[in-house]
Amino acid sequence: MANPNVQGLSAGIRGKPFENEYVNFSRLTALVVDDISAMRHAIRSQLQSLGMNSVRMASNAEEALEQIKSTSFDLILCDYNLNKSSSGQHFLEYLRNENILSSTCIFVMLTAEAEYSSVANAVEFIPDDYLLKPCSESKLRSRLERLLDRRAFLMPVLNAINGKLYDLAVEECDKLLLIAQDDRRRMDVLRRKAEAQLALEDYTQILATYMLAASIRDDAPWVKMGMARVHYALGDYSQAIEIASQLIESNKNYVAAYELLAKIRRETEDDEGAFEMLNRSTAILPSAKRYRSVSQAAFLLGKLEEAKSSAEAAISLSNGSMVERSGDYLSLAQTLVDMGDFKAAIATLEKSARKHGDLGFFGVAKDAILAQAYFDAGDIAKAHKLVERSKSLLANRTNSFVMTALGKAALKTGDMVLGLKLMTQAVQSSGRDERRIARHVKKSMLDTGHNDRIEDVIDGGRKRILVLVDESTKLMRIARFVEANQKVLEALEIHNENFEALMTATQLHLLWLKHEGLNTVIIERAKFYLSTLDKLIPNNLKVMNFYRFFNEIVSK
Amino acid sequence: MHETLSALVVHDIKNALALLEIDLEQLNHHKDVPPEGRRAYRRCIELKNRLISFLTLYKHDQSGLRPVIVEVDLAEFVEDMIRNSQSGMMVPSHQGHEIAVRIDHDKTKIDGANGGIGQFDENLVELALESALNNAVRYARHNVLVWFEQEQDALTFNVLDDGVGVGVVDELMQRKIAEKSSSTGLGLALCKAVAEAHGAGSVLLESVTGGGTLFSLVLRRIV
Repeated sequence: MANPNVQGLSAGIRGKPFENEYVNFSRLTALVVDDISAMRHAIRSQLQSLGMNSVRMASNAEEALEQIKSTSFDLILCDYNLNKSSSGQHFLEYLRNENILSSTCIFVMLTAEAEYSSVANAVEFIPDDYLLKPCSESKLRSRLERLLDRRAFLMPVLNAINGKLYDLAVEECDKLLLIAQDDRRRMDVLRRKAEAQLALEDYTQILATYMLAASIRDDAPWVKMGMARVHYALGDYSQAIEIASQLIESNKNYVAAYELLAKIRRETEDDEGAFEMLNRSTAILPSAKRYRSVSQAAFLLGKLEEAKSSAEAAISLSNGSMVERSGDYLSLAQTLVDMGDFKAAIATLEKSARKHGDLGFFGVAKDAILAQAYFDAGDIAKAHKLVERSKSLLANRTNSFVMTALGKAALKTGDMVLGLKLMTQAVQSSGRDERRIARHVKKSMLDTGHNDRIEDVIDGGRKRILVLVDESTKLMRIARFVEANQKVLEALEIHNENFEALMTATQLHLLWLKHEGLNTVIIERAKFYLSTLDKLIPNNLKVMNFYRFFNEIVSK
Repeated sequence: MHETLSALVVHDIKNALALLEIDLEQLNHHKDVPPEGRRAYRRCIELKNRLISFLTLYKHDQSGLRPVIVEVDLAEFVEDMIRNSQSGMMVPSHQGHEIAVRIDHDKTKIDGANGGIGQFDENLVELALESALNNAVRYARHNVLVWFEQEQDALTFNVLDDGVGVGVVDELMQRKIAEKSSSTGLGLALCKAVAEAHGAGSVLLESVTGGGTLFSLVLRRIV
């Protein structure tokens, strides 16, 4: 009976029964998401006659999200065509992006036509399976049994990933690799292993995992995409670009590859190239998030028409759904102002205010952009009033986008001092977004005719800090602590998280204590600077030495 | 406008049929289902299959099928197909008794390099093979055997029945005009369309010595 060719066959073909001990439908919880009530109920009765006792239903993504947040489902069956504006694919992307789905949850996409998956195959987040509707109960049963069987095999790994115990997950993967009977199982395990290693940021090990996967199947897109990402993370852009381009060559709809290329181009300051890649991925699989990126890229490139239409598309695609962002209205309004269409800008902001109110960053930025629009409309008094209101609401908030919008409004309405200060602060507190904000600031300065101050604003803040820090250090060395303190405070005024300024402030206070004896005010301030630094750069050698020095002084 | 409208109507009918099928399927779970209930269920399935086959062929003629190529575990695929075929949705045999459908393990071949994983549109191929299987059961005397043979650059699915031979179907293969009017003809046309959609694929029918017909769907890897 044994045929040497059939070694790799699954249990059923080798003559074992199809049913397996893992699958006990009665203990599983399922969620059916479909906008057509009759279909929803029909699928529920199918699941119930498979033996599932707990089957919940949702008619749209929002309802489904509520349920997913409160219940841990074993299985989600989701219709691909949820409604006009969002698909099951968008929903899945959202769930995975926001990390809402448990690793143990099986997500199955139900579709009426097979067309979907030429697109769906091209995206990063794929469901565990696709099922063509209508689906008979026996087909549903056999698919679910396969999926549950696979899940049961991976369970120790999935549980570890769920508990964020990634080291354990890698360990469990290695155990499973020893007992995996066929290539498909091995690939399943390797995929999870790579996922855990990615969470551990263990890039050299993860490359080994992908190499092993590639030796089993060299054409699996997730392996190639994974390798491209690792090369990117290791800073090897040319390798990353080569692999991503290969992926696109074999599947010109592979969205994730375009998105990685866009990221690389943006980082290598090829903004036009990045814009083109984003445009292509959006054309393949339009979503609010992708339109948003296109709109931002277009805005910074001065392609205002494209920025406008993409922002409008983002708004109409996300309208009323969970991916709706009030920021889309702000981007659209700022674009409209820059295009000279103040009427449309005002209308957009008023409409969005009815929806999103006046709270938080949104309120501040809305007033700032409104001020620009009213200024252009010739209502100078109203523009001034809005700048004042926006300024008072800004308080201690440090959001670079908001500061740029208000800065621009200030420059427009003639408040140079406020405008330049806000622009400088926007660049200083932009963190990882620095290049983008700097471009945004530069554009705003050009738009308002302040070309001559651009360099000052973008680099000047930092230059000024360094000058102040230098002066402070010199004063500190000749024990003029009060004056040194004034200088460093001035530097921190510009940017309260600047390393050089914080380091100098700490050093200054420690010397102060050493020279002039223990003073509770100085001790408290020294402690504050130390803890700020510790939060910003944990385990820094220099900061640890400061701590040691501080303890020595205080314990005397 | 007309095209859009008819597409909508057809889509609507397909959905309604699907819902009806599920209702009948659930109804048939009850004890003491009258024979009419069982018959209605079978008719509904046949009608739906015919509609889907027709729509698939229509698309093939109009714009060409666009297969969605995915990786498929061949052993699982064939197992599941046979299992589904035995769940009561089968067309009745001409013989009036149950026909056993089994996998022929000895003839099954796996290519080492491809490791039992095939790349094709699983929905299209399943649709084609289901119709071949239905046909085989219709003409078989006692047994139907199914197996696949995977080679470096080709993948063949085989369905062998022990019925009267290829005569009937052979005739149908020749008669191009009539081919879509009967369910057998429709099925064969569908199989050819699916094979063509996967590149240089083909459909073969041959008589087997000692009686019976061997159906083969050959898919070739598009390079």
